[in-house]
Amino acid sequence: MLKLQGLTFCFLMLNGFMAWAAPMTFNTALPVADDEFLMRFQSFVRQSGNDPSTLDRDLKVKAFVTVLGYGVSSKLALFGVLPYLDKEMRLSVNNQRWQRNTNGLGDLTLFGRYTVYQQNQLGQTFRIAPLVGVKVPTGEDQETDALGELPQPFQLGTGSWDFFAGMVSTYQTLDYQFDTQLSYRINTEANNFEAGNEARWNMSLQYRLWPSSIQHGFLYAVMESNLIYRYQNRINGYDDPNSGGLSLLLAPGIQYVTKRWIVETVVQRPVVQNLYGVALENDYTFWASVRFNF
Amino acid sequence: MKNLIFALALIISGNVLAADSQYQLGVNGLACPFCVYGLEKQLSKLPGVKQIETDVKQGEVRLLVKEGVVLTEPLAREAVKKSGFSLRSFKKLNAGE
Repeated sequence: MLKLQGLTFCFLMLNGFMAWAAPMTFNTALPVADDEFLMRFQSFVRQSGNDPSTLDRDLKVKAFVTVLGYGVSSKLALFGVLPYLDKEMRLSVNNQRWQRNTNGLGDLTLFGRYTVYQQNQLGQTFRIAPLVGVKVPTGEDQETDALGELPQPFQLGTGSWDFFAGMVSTYQTLDYQFDTQLSYRINTEANNFEAGNEARWNMSLQYRLWPSSIQHGFLYAVMESNLIYRYQNRINGYDDPNSGGLSLLLAPGIQYVTKRWIVETVVQRPVVQNLYGVALENDYTFWASVRFNF
Repeated sequence: MKNLIFALALIISGNVLAADSQYQLGVNGLACPFCVYGLEKQLSKLPGVKQIETDVKQGEVRLLVKEGVVLTEPLAREAVKKSGFSLRSFKKLNAGE
Protein backbone atom coordinates (compact mmCIF):
# COMPACT_ATOMS: atom_id res chain seq x y z
CA MET A 1 0.00 0.00 0.00
CA LEU A 2 2.91 2.32 0.55
CA LYS A 3 3.39 2.24 -3.20
CA LEU A 4 0.19 4.23 -3.43
CA GLN A 5 1.93 7.21 -1.93
CA GLY A 6 4.00 7.45 -5.07
CA LEU A 7 1.05 7.41 -7.40
CA THR A 8 -0.83 10.39 -8.56
CA PHE A 9 -4.54 10.61 -8.83
CA CYS A 10 -4.29 13.50 -11.13
CA PHE A 11 -7.83 14.73 -11.14
CA LEU A 12 -8.43 14.16 -7.51
CA MET A 13 -7.80 17.76 -6.67
CA LEU A 14 -10.84 19.94 -6.97
CA ASN A 15 -10.54 22.53 -9.62
CA GLY A 16 -12.84 25.06 -11.12
CA PHE A 17 -15.19 24.77 -8.18
CA MET A 18 -14.74 28.42 -7.32
CA ALA A 19 -16.77 29.42 -10.30
CA TRP A 20 -19.81 31.44 -9.40
CA ALA A 21 -21.22 33.09 -12.44
CA ALA A 22 -21.32 32.68 -16.16
CA PRO A 23 -18.76 29.97 -16.92
CA MET A 24 -19.35 26.69 -15.12
CA THR A 25 -15.81 25.38 -14.66
CA PHE A 26 -14.10 28.62 -13.69
CA ASN A 27 -14.73 32.28 -12.88
CA THR A 28 -16.11 35.38 -14.57
CA ALA A 29 -15.47 39.09 -14.38
CA LEU A 30 -19.17 40.01 -14.36
CA PRO A 31 -20.08 42.31 -11.49
CA VAL A 32 -21.42 41.45 -8.07
CA ALA A 33 -23.29 44.58 -7.01
CA ASP A 34 -22.45 46.43 -3.82
CA ASP A 35 -24.06 44.54 -0.89
CA GLU A 36 -25.31 41.73 -3.14
CA PHE A 37 -24.99 38.09 -2.11
CA LEU A 38 -24.59 35.12 -4.41
CA MET A 39 -25.09 31.52 -3.42
CA ARG A 40 -24.16 28.56 -5.53
CA PHE A 41 -24.75 24.87 -4.95
CA GLN A 42 -22.71 22.75 -7.26
CA SER A 43 -22.28 19.03 -7.55
CA PHE A 44 -20.02 17.00 -9.73
CA VAL A 45 -19.00 13.44 -10.35
CA ARG A 46 -15.49 12.85 -11.60
CA GLN A 47 -14.56 9.45 -12.96
CA SER A 48 -10.96 8.42 -13.53
CA GLY A 49 -10.41 4.86 -14.62
CA ASN A 50 -8.02 4.85 -17.54
CA ASP A 51 -5.01 3.49 -15.69
CA PRO A 52 -1.77 2.98 -17.62
CA SER A 53 -0.27 1.10 -14.63
CA THR A 54 -0.85 -2.52 -13.63
CA LEU A 55 -2.86 -1.50 -10.58
CA ASP A 56 -6.06 -1.08 -12.59
CA ARG A 57 -7.03 1.91 -10.50
CA ASP A 58 -10.53 3.26 -10.65
CA LEU A 59 -11.37 6.48 -8.88
CA LYS A 60 -14.69 8.22 -8.44
CA VAL A 61 -15.05 11.56 -6.66
CA LYS A 62 -18.48 12.94 -5.90
CA ALA A 63 -18.69 16.45 -4.54
CA PHE A 64 -21.30 18.85 -3.30
CA VAL A 65 -19.85 22.33 -3.24
CA THR A 66 -21.33 25.41 -1.60
CA VAL A 67 -20.16 28.82 -2.77
CA LEU A 68 -21.05 32.11 -1.10
CA GLY A 69 -20.15 35.41 -2.72
CA TYR A 70 -20.56 38.96 -1.46
CA GLY A 71 -20.11 42.29 -3.19
CA VAL A 72 -18.08 44.52 -0.86
CA SER A 73 -18.33 47.17 -3.54
CA SER A 74 -19.19 47.09 -7.23
CA LYS A 75 -15.54 46.28 -7.93
CA LEU A 76 -14.51 44.06 -5.04
CA ALA A 77 -16.20 40.71 -4.46
CA LEU A 78 -15.27 38.07 -1.87
CA PHE A 79 -16.02 34.38 -2.15
CA GLY A 80 -15.94 31.35 0.11
CA VAL A 81 -16.06 27.79 -1.19
CA LEU A 82 -16.61 24.68 0.91
CA PRO A 83 -16.84 21.21 -0.66
CA TYR A 84 -18.31 18.03 0.76
CA LEU A 85 -16.48 15.12 -0.82
CA ASP A 86 -17.14 11.45 -1.27
CA LYS A 87 -14.19 9.55 -2.71
CA GLU A 88 -14.02 5.94 -3.72
CA MET A 89 -10.96 4.19 -5.06
CA ARG A 90 -10.53 0.64 -6.31
CA LEU A 91 -7.23 -0.94 -7.25
CA SER A 92 -5.55 -4.30 -7.63
CA VAL A 93 -2.52 -5.25 -5.58
CA ASN A 94 -1.05 -8.78 -5.61
CA ASN A 95 -4.02 -10.05 -7.61
CA GLN A 96 -6.40 -8.80 -4.97
CA ARG A 97 -8.97 -6.03 -5.49
CA TRP A 98 -8.98 -3.34 -2.81
CA GLN A 99 -11.45 -0.57 -2.15
CA ARG A 100 -10.92 2.54 -0.09
CA ASN A 101 -13.47 5.22 0.72
CA THR A 102 -13.61 8.51 2.49
CA ASN A 103 -16.13 11.29 2.79
CA GLY A 104 -16.58 14.57 4.62
CA LEU A 105 -15.86 18.26 4.37
CA GLY A 106 -12.85 19.25 2.29
CA ASP A 107 -10.64 22.32 2.39
CA LEU A 108 -12.14 25.80 2.52
CA THR A 109 -11.16 28.19 -0.26
CA LEU A 110 -11.36 31.97 0.16
CA PHE A 111 -10.68 34.42 -2.61
CA GLY A 112 -11.25 37.97 -3.71
CA ARG A 113 -11.74 39.46 -7.14
CA TYR A 114 -11.24 43.11 -8.02
CA THR A 115 -12.37 44.76 -11.26
CA VAL A 116 -9.53 46.88 -12.60
CA TYR A 117 -11.07 47.72 -15.96
CA GLN A 118 -14.61 47.94 -17.24
CA GLN A 119 -16.18 49.34 -20.36
CA ASN A 120 -19.96 49.43 -20.41
CA GLN A 121 -21.95 50.09 -23.56
CA LEU A 122 -25.55 49.57 -24.57
CA GLY A 123 -26.21 45.83 -24.30
CA GLN A 124 -22.59 44.88 -23.72
CA THR A 125 -19.81 44.98 -21.19
CA PHE A 126 -16.11 44.19 -21.13
CA ARG A 127 -14.26 43.63 -17.85
CA ILE A 128 -10.89 42.57 -16.52
CA ALA A 129 -10.52 41.41 -12.94
CA PRO A 130 -7.54 39.90 -11.13
CA LEU A 131 -8.26 37.45 -8.38
CA VAL A 132 -6.24 36.10 -5.50
CA GLY A 133 -7.06 33.41 -2.98
CA VAL A 134 -5.99 30.88 -0.41
CA LYS A 135 -6.99 27.31 0.33
CA VAL A 136 -7.21 26.71 4.05
CA PRO A 137 -6.51 23.20 5.36
CA THR A 138 -9.88 22.58 7.02
CA GLY A 139 -10.43 19.09 5.65
CA GLU A 140 -9.22 15.91 7.31
CA ASP A 141 -5.72 15.14 6.03
CA GLN A 142 -4.62 12.15 8.10
CA GLU A 143 -7.56 9.84 7.78
CA THR A 144 -7.07 6.11 8.05
CA ASP A 145 -9.09 3.04 7.19
CA ALA A 146 -8.64 -0.67 7.81
CA LEU A 147 -5.65 -0.66 5.45
CA GLY A 148 -3.87 2.14 7.25
CA GLU A 149 -3.47 5.82 6.46
CA LEU A 150 -5.04 6.91 3.21
CA PRO A 151 -2.65 8.17 0.51
CA GLN A 152 -2.22 11.93 0.72
CA PRO A 153 -3.84 12.68 -2.64
CA PHE A 154 -6.86 10.67 -1.49
CA GLN A 155 -7.37 12.57 1.76
CA LEU A 156 -10.28 15.01 2.03
CA GLY A 157 -7.92 17.88 2.72
CA THR A 158 -4.31 18.45 1.77
CA GLY A 159 -3.22 19.73 5.16
CA SER A 160 -1.42 22.55 3.38
CA TRP A 161 -2.03 26.24 2.87
CA ASP A 162 -2.14 26.76 -0.87
CA PHE A 163 -2.29 30.04 -2.76
CA PHE A 164 -3.50 31.07 -6.17
CA ALA A 165 -3.76 34.16 -8.29
CA GLY A 166 -5.09 34.89 -11.73
CA MET A 167 -6.78 37.23 -14.11
CA VAL A 168 -10.23 36.80 -15.58
CA SER A 169 -11.72 38.73 -18.45
CA THR A 170 -15.32 38.79 -19.71
CA TYR A 171 -16.96 40.20 -22.81
CA GLN A 172 -20.73 39.94 -22.66
CA THR A 173 -23.37 41.01 -25.15
CA LEU A 174 -27.08 40.24 -25.33
CA ASP A 175 -26.35 37.39 -27.74
CA TYR A 176 -23.21 35.78 -26.41
CA GLN A 177 -20.53 35.88 -23.74
CA PHE A 178 -16.85 35.06 -23.77
CA ASP A 179 -14.76 34.53 -20.65
CA THR A 180 -11.12 33.65 -20.30
CA GLN A 181 -8.99 33.15 -17.23
CA LEU A 182 -5.30 32.62 -16.61
CA SER A 183 -4.33 31.40 -13.18
CA TYR A 184 -1.47 29.91 -11.25
CA ARG A 185 -1.65 27.90 -8.07
CA ILE A 186 1.16 27.37 -5.59
CA ASN A 187 0.79 24.33 -3.37
CA THR A 188 2.78 23.92 -0.20
CA GLU A 189 3.99 20.89 1.70
CA ALA A 190 2.13 19.04 4.45
CA ASN A 191 2.48 15.48 5.75
CA ASN A 192 5.62 15.02 3.62
CA PHE A 193 3.55 15.58 0.50
CA GLU A 194 3.43 18.57 -1.79
CA ALA A 195 1.04 18.62 -4.72
CA GLY A 196 2.56 20.07 -7.86
CA ASN A 197 1.88 23.68 -8.72
CA GLU A 198 -0.69 24.25 -11.40
CA ALA A 199 -1.08 26.64 -14.32
CA ARG A 200 -4.41 27.03 -16.10
CA TRP A 201 -5.86 28.72 -19.11
CA ASN A 202 -9.64 28.52 -19.22
CA MET A 203 -12.06 29.75 -21.87
CA SER A 204 -15.83 29.77 -22.10
CA LEU A 205 -18.24 30.75 -24.85
CA GLN A 206 -21.95 31.04 -24.12
CA TYR A 207 -24.39 31.62 -26.96
CA ARG A 208 -28.00 32.63 -26.31
CA LEU A 209 -30.35 30.17 -27.93
CA TRP A 210 -33.66 31.45 -26.67
CA PRO A 211 -35.32 34.22 -26.34
CA SER A 212 -34.79 37.85 -25.44
CA SER A 213 -37.54 38.34 -22.88
CA ILE A 214 -36.31 38.77 -19.33
CA GLN A 215 -39.56 37.31 -18.00
CA HIS A 216 -38.58 33.99 -19.51
CA GLY A 217 -34.86 34.11 -18.90
CA PHE A 218 -32.05 33.31 -21.30
CA LEU A 219 -31.11 29.82 -22.45
CA TYR A 220 -27.43 29.53 -23.36
CA ALA A 221 -25.45 26.83 -25.11
CA VAL A 222 -22.03 26.65 -23.49
CA MET A 223 -18.63 25.39 -24.57
CA GLU A 224 -15.70 25.58 -22.20
CA SER A 225 -12.09 24.52 -22.41
CA ASN A 226 -9.48 24.09 -19.70
CA LEU A 227 -5.80 23.82 -20.51
CA ILE A 228 -4.04 22.63 -17.39
CA TYR A 229 -0.39 21.99 -16.66
CA ARG A 230 0.49 20.38 -13.34
CA TYR A 231 4.01 20.10 -12.07
CA GLN A 232 5.08 16.88 -10.43
CA ASN A 233 4.17 16.20 -6.85
CA ARG A 234 6.88 15.89 -4.25
CA ILE A 235 6.94 13.10 -1.71
CA ASN A 236 9.41 13.26 1.14
CA GLY A 237 11.25 15.92 -0.83
CA TYR A 238 11.51 13.94 -4.07
CA ASP A 239 9.65 14.46 -7.33
CA ASP A 240 7.03 11.85 -8.04
CA PRO A 241 7.66 10.68 -11.63
CA ASN A 242 4.09 9.42 -11.89
CA SER A 243 2.41 12.74 -11.42
CA GLY A 244 1.71 15.95 -13.25
CA GLY A 245 1.45 16.67 -16.94
CA LEU A 246 -0.64 18.49 -19.49
CA SER A 247 -4.38 18.14 -19.97
CA LEU A 248 -6.85 19.79 -22.28
CA LEU A 249 -10.49 19.40 -21.33
CA LEU A 250 -13.57 20.36 -23.32
CA ALA A 251 -16.94 20.88 -21.71
CA PRO A 252 -20.16 21.37 -23.66
CA GLY A 253 -23.16 22.35 -21.57
CA ILE A 254 -26.39 24.24 -21.22
CA GLN A 255 -27.41 27.06 -18.91
CA TYR A 256 -30.74 28.73 -18.11
CA VAL A 257 -30.45 32.21 -16.63
CA THR A 258 -33.19 34.25 -14.95
CA LYS A 259 -33.09 37.38 -12.82
CA ARG A 260 -32.88 35.47 -9.53
CA TRP A 261 -31.43 32.07 -10.37
CA ILE A 262 -29.35 30.06 -12.83
CA VAL A 263 -29.49 26.34 -13.45
CA GLU A 264 -26.82 24.63 -15.53
CA THR A 265 -25.14 21.41 -16.44
CA VAL A 266 -21.98 20.49 -18.31
CA VAL A 267 -19.96 17.38 -19.13
CA GLN A 268 -16.21 17.84 -19.13
CA ARG A 269 -14.09 15.39 -21.10
CA PRO A 270 -10.36 15.30 -21.76
CA VAL A 271 -9.22 15.60 -25.35
CA VAL A 272 -5.49 15.63 -24.55
CA GLN A 273 -3.81 14.02 -21.55
CA ASN A 274 -0.04 13.98 -21.69
CA LEU A 275 0.63 12.91 -18.14
CA TYR A 276 3.94 11.83 -16.66
CA GLY A 277 4.62 8.19 -15.86
CA VAL A 278 1.54 6.24 -14.92
CA ALA A 279 -0.49 9.14 -13.59
CA LEU A 280 -4.15 8.20 -13.62
CA GLU A 281 -6.12 9.67 -16.49
CA ASN A 282 -9.50 11.31 -16.18
CA ASP A 283 -12.51 9.89 -18.05
CA TYR A 284 -15.11 12.58 -17.51
CA THR A 285 -16.58 15.03 -15.03
CA PHE A 286 -20.29 15.72 -14.89
CA TRP A 287 -21.28 19.04 -13.36
CA ALA A 288 -24.66 20.42 -12.32
CA SER A 289 -25.34 23.54 -10.32
CA VAL A 290 -27.82 26.15 -9.31
CA ARG A 291 -27.08 29.75 -8.28
CA PHE A 292 -29.14 32.41 -6.54
CA ASN A 293 -28.64 36.07 -5.84
CA PHE A 294 -30.13 37.91 -2.88
CA MET B 1 -72.90 60.90 3.68
CA LYS B 2 -70.93 57.66 3.63
CA ASN B 3 -71.06 57.60 -0.16
CA LEU B 4 -69.79 61.17 -0.30
CA ILE B 5 -66.81 60.33 1.95
CA PHE B 6 -66.02 57.23 -0.14
CA ALA B 7 -66.17 59.27 -3.34
CA LEU B 8 -63.86 61.89 -1.83
CA ALA B 9 -61.44 59.17 -0.72
CA LEU B 10 -61.36 57.76 -4.23
CA ILE B 11 -60.67 61.18 -5.72
CA ILE B 12 -57.89 61.85 -3.21
CA SER B 13 -56.24 58.45 -3.74
CA GLY B 14 -56.51 58.95 -7.49
CA ASN B 15 -54.71 62.25 -7.17
CA VAL B 16 -51.97 60.63 -5.09
CA LEU B 17 -51.39 57.96 -7.75
CA ALA B 18 -51.38 60.55 -10.45
CA ALA B 19 -48.80 62.58 -8.52
CA ASP B 20 -46.24 59.75 -8.45
CA SER B 21 -43.44 60.51 -10.87
CA GLN B 22 -41.81 58.29 -13.41
CA TYR B 23 -38.18 58.30 -14.45
CA GLN B 24 -36.45 56.53 -17.27
CA LEU B 25 -32.82 55.56 -16.87
CA GLY B 26 -30.60 54.38 -19.68
CA VAL B 27 -28.09 51.86 -18.33
CA ASN B 28 -24.98 50.67 -20.17
CA GLY B 29 -23.41 47.28 -19.55
CA LEU B 30 -26.60 45.35 -18.92
CA ALA B 31 -26.59 42.19 -21.04
CA CYS B 32 -28.18 39.34 -19.10
CA PRO B 33 -31.10 38.81 -16.71
CA PHE B 34 -28.98 37.72 -13.73
CA CYS B 35 -27.23 41.10 -13.62
CA VAL B 36 -30.56 42.92 -13.45
CA TYR B 37 -31.13 41.86 -9.86
CA GLY B 38 -28.10 43.74 -8.53
CA LEU B 39 -29.14 46.86 -10.43
CA GLU B 40 -32.72 46.76 -9.19
CA LYS B 41 -31.54 46.09 -5.64
CA GLN B 42 -29.48 49.28 -5.70
CA LEU B 43 -32.25 51.34 -7.31
CA SER B 44 -34.81 50.09 -4.82
CA LYS B 45 -32.73 51.67 -2.04
CA LEU B 46 -33.28 55.13 -3.51
CA PRO B 47 -35.77 57.22 -1.53
CA GLY B 48 -39.36 57.00 -2.69
CA VAL B 49 -38.88 54.28 -5.30
CA LYS B 50 -42.08 52.22 -5.47
CA GLN B 51 -41.70 50.20 -8.63
CA ILE B 52 -38.92 49.21 -11.02
CA GLU B 53 -39.22 47.77 -14.50
CA THR B 54 -36.13 46.81 -16.48
CA ASP B 55 -35.85 46.21 -20.20
CA VAL B 56 -32.56 44.39 -20.69
CA LYS B 57 -32.72 44.54 -24.46
CA GLN B 58 -33.07 48.32 -24.55
CA GLY B 59 -30.88 48.88 -21.50
CA GLU B 60 -33.64 50.92 -19.89
CA VAL B 61 -35.10 51.07 -16.41
CA ARG B 62 -38.37 52.77 -15.47
CA LEU B 63 -38.79 53.91 -11.90
CA LEU B 64 -42.03 54.91 -10.23
CA VAL B 65 -41.22 57.36 -7.45
CA LYS B 66 -43.54 58.43 -4.64
CA GLU B 67 -45.16 61.84 -4.73
CA GLY B 68 -43.07 64.59 -3.18
CA VAL B 69 -39.79 62.75 -3.67
CA VAL B 70 -37.43 64.07 -6.30
CA LEU B 71 -34.93 61.69 -7.84
CA THR B 72 -31.81 63.46 -8.95
CA GLU B 73 -29.40 62.32 -11.64
CA PRO B 74 -26.37 62.11 -9.30
CA LEU B 75 -28.33 59.82 -6.96
CA ALA B 76 -29.40 57.58 -9.84
CA ARG B 77 -25.88 57.58 -11.28
CA GLU B 78 -24.40 56.49 -7.95
CA ALA B 79 -26.92 53.67 -7.55
CA VAL B 80 -26.24 52.38 -11.06
CA LYS B 81 -22.49 52.61 -10.45
CA LYS B 82 -22.84 50.60 -7.22
CA SER B 83 -24.36 47.78 -9.24
CA GLY B 84 -21.36 47.76 -11.57
CA PHE B 85 -22.98 49.49 -14.55
CA SER B 86 -23.01 52.99 -16.07
CA LEU B 87 -25.79 55.53 -16.36
CA ARG B 88 -26.27 56.46 -20.01
CA SER B 89 -29.29 58.76 -19.70
CA PHE B 90 -31.65 60.17 -17.10
CA LYS B 91 -35.08 61.52 -17.87
CA LYS B 92 -38.17 62.43 -15.88
CA LEU B 93 -41.20 61.28 -17.81
CA ASN B 94 -44.30 63.39 -18.22
CA ALA B 95 -47.73 61.92 -17.50
CA GLY B 96 -48.74 59.53 -20.27
CA GLU B 97 -45.19 58.89 -21.48
